[in-house]
Amino acid sequence: MSAVETLGSHHTSDPLIRRPGRSLRFLASELQIIFGRRRNLAGLVVLAVVPVIIAIAVKVSTPGAGDGPDFVSAIAGNGLLVALAALTVELPLFLPLAVATISGDAVAGEANLGTLRYLLTIPAGRTRLLAVKYAAIVIFAFVATAVVTVTGVVIGLALFGGGDLTLLSGSQTSLADGLWRLLLTTAYLAVGFSALGAIGLFVSTLTEQPIGATIAIVLTNVMMFILDSISQLSWLHPWLLTHWWTAFGDLLRDPIETQNISRGLITAAVYAVVFWLAAWARFSSKDITS
Amino acid sequence: MRIFDRKPALRWLAPLAAVLVVGGTGGIVAVSASADPPLKPRTAEQLLVDLQQAEVDGLSGTVVQTSNLGIPEIPGGGGPHGSDSSLTAMVSGTHTLKVWYAGPDKARLALLGTFGQSDVIRHGKDLWLWASKDNTASHRTLSATKEHSRSTESPQESMTPEAAAAKVLKAVGPTTEVTTNGTATVAGRAAYELLVKPKDDRSLVTEVRIAIDSVESIPLRVQVVGVDQKPAFEVAYSAVDFSQPDDEQFAFNPPPGAKVTEVPPHPSVENNKKKADKHADKKQGRSNDPATSADRPVIVGSGWTTVVVAKTGDLKDSDNAQLSQLLNALSPVSGAWGSGRLLSGPAFSLLVTDDGRVAVGAVPPAMLYEALAK
Repeated sequence: MSAVETLGSHHTSDPLIRRPGRSLRFLASELQIIFGRRRNLAGLVVLAVVPVIIAIAVKVSTPGAGDGPDFVSAIAGNGLLVALAALTVELPLFLPLAVATISGDAVAGEANLGTLRYLLTIPAGRTRLLAVKYAAIVIFAFVATAVVTVTGVVIGLALFGGGDLTLLSGSQTSLADGLWRLLLTTAYLAVGFSALGAIGLFVSTLTEQPIGATIAIVLTNVMMFILDSISQLSWLHPWLLTHWWTAFGDLLRDPIETQNISRGLITAAVYAVVFWLAAWARFSSKDITS
Repeated sequence: MRIFDRKPALRWLAPLAAVLVVGGTGGIVAVSASADPPLKPRTAEQLLVDLQQAEVDGLSGTVVQTSNLGIPEIPGGGGPHGSDSSLTAMVSGTHTLKVWYAGPDKARLALLGTFGQSDVIRHGKDLWLWASKDNTASHRTLSATKEHSRSTESPQESMTPEAAAAKVLKAVGPTTEVTTNGTATVAGRAAYELLVKPKDDRSLVTEVRIAIDSVESIPLRVQVVGVDQKPAFEVAYSAVDFSQPDDEQFAFNPPPGAKVTEVPPHPSVENNKKKADKHADKKQGRSNDPATSADRPVIVGSGWTTVVVAKTGDLKDSDNAQLSQLLNALSPVSGAWGSGRLLSGPAFSLLVTDDGRVAVGAVPPAMLYEALAK
């Protein structure tokens, strides 16, 4: 199934007329494809399993202070921390992998199935095609991150209860404020993954093999983490997209420490713009044969 | 855009332009931030007076501290980008601290780690230490005697800052050269720079640079420059705001579930008691503390090339895994003075001998060997 089928009936003769309604329909059909595929749903389930595993493991064993990954040792005190622990654990690989799968598939997948040229016979325009594809990737990034957070909050509150949340500064905040900070954390991370999605969209225009594109995106992501861990390359670190992802911890201080968060958002925006433009330059000048 | 249709290769200019705009903006910001601000020149003596007269009602800011002391990375100690929030991790790497200050009895210092934070909070007579990583807090009530001892210092305080500055300059004169180094911009503020240089060129410290805010006269940056002409240690504000922070910043209540330790309020009294006890022991001729005098550190040399030699006991048998790992990472050396492990950093050297002595100083290793041989 491809976006072609839903778009075919809205054929107009003038490609220069911009119709926002058509873009929205195009986006809706893109989302239908992404969230209708069984493999993508299976991926989201895997993302959701992690907080469940963490919560059950803690419930069964209750580790002492300082044990296990960040936030895990304090889960017994507040269920919200299940979501934070799950996000921390899934940050380096699971969530980027999910975004890499979707964004790697965006253009290369259509090319591989042979639907890309049909898609382009419709006067959707290549620029609009890329815009809609990227919008779908961004929405998926937010949904994937939210799946982890929501599952974590639900199972955490069910197994450990809520109550006041202890912030990193040692002060306490209400459950409502805790949820608000968790929402900010989710949005901040999703913005970072969306920027990775722009890299993915670019890589996806380079090849007709979606699997190859996905692997390349994951390798890029892992490579950035490796570079970030080499202290001799500290001059490079502020320029790495992934360097700022762990800054979400600053949202859990009192008051919220904004310096690194805003640097992270700016870096993500720059990556998104540069790689979307690169994808545009590549895709709109490329000969489509499949 | 017709031109893009005719020459598709030109489309690549778009992402390239985006990269250049971002890189260029970053570059311009960096250049304009490091440009020397025009300020009325001030002498070293005037700057010292300014420093002493500086009075800030309140401030909050971010401090970035960078150590490049040549200490090997401790495995499991500090993360590669300073992700560890424990206070002992500060010996290596880069660390970010938040500072809030609203008078001598209201101050808070927070060391930020990636998912952790260590705080030191002074609020009235309460002194709190908080570590989020191990969920512990320790509390101490500051004794009033400290305030007394401060007030007894008043004769010194009555001395004019000018006289004090002159005295300082005179005292350090034989060993140190104090000059000014023009101006600098730190945390977006114009600052004077005071230059403290050892006259003894055997010292590994080439100079210490202190940037002093041109309006508030507090130090904004301190850099210790090693032999390699690079800052071996630097602590500087990256952002500073001179308005008084809210009172709630200084209120600390340990969260439920945290392990709270109460530190005895009068350690000085305790110590005196112990000393008195020891005295009593000695009088009775059964002193069980023969090591006291031998344990005292020996000072060799003077001024900037002072070497401190102390007895530590055998560090190798230490239970502290991190410490023994660190020791093993140091290069083994030996000489007429014995053998041991050497840390040769750009600004200081440290030698731990196999017979349980440690020598440290802002000097090249050869001077440590000399001091140990004495």
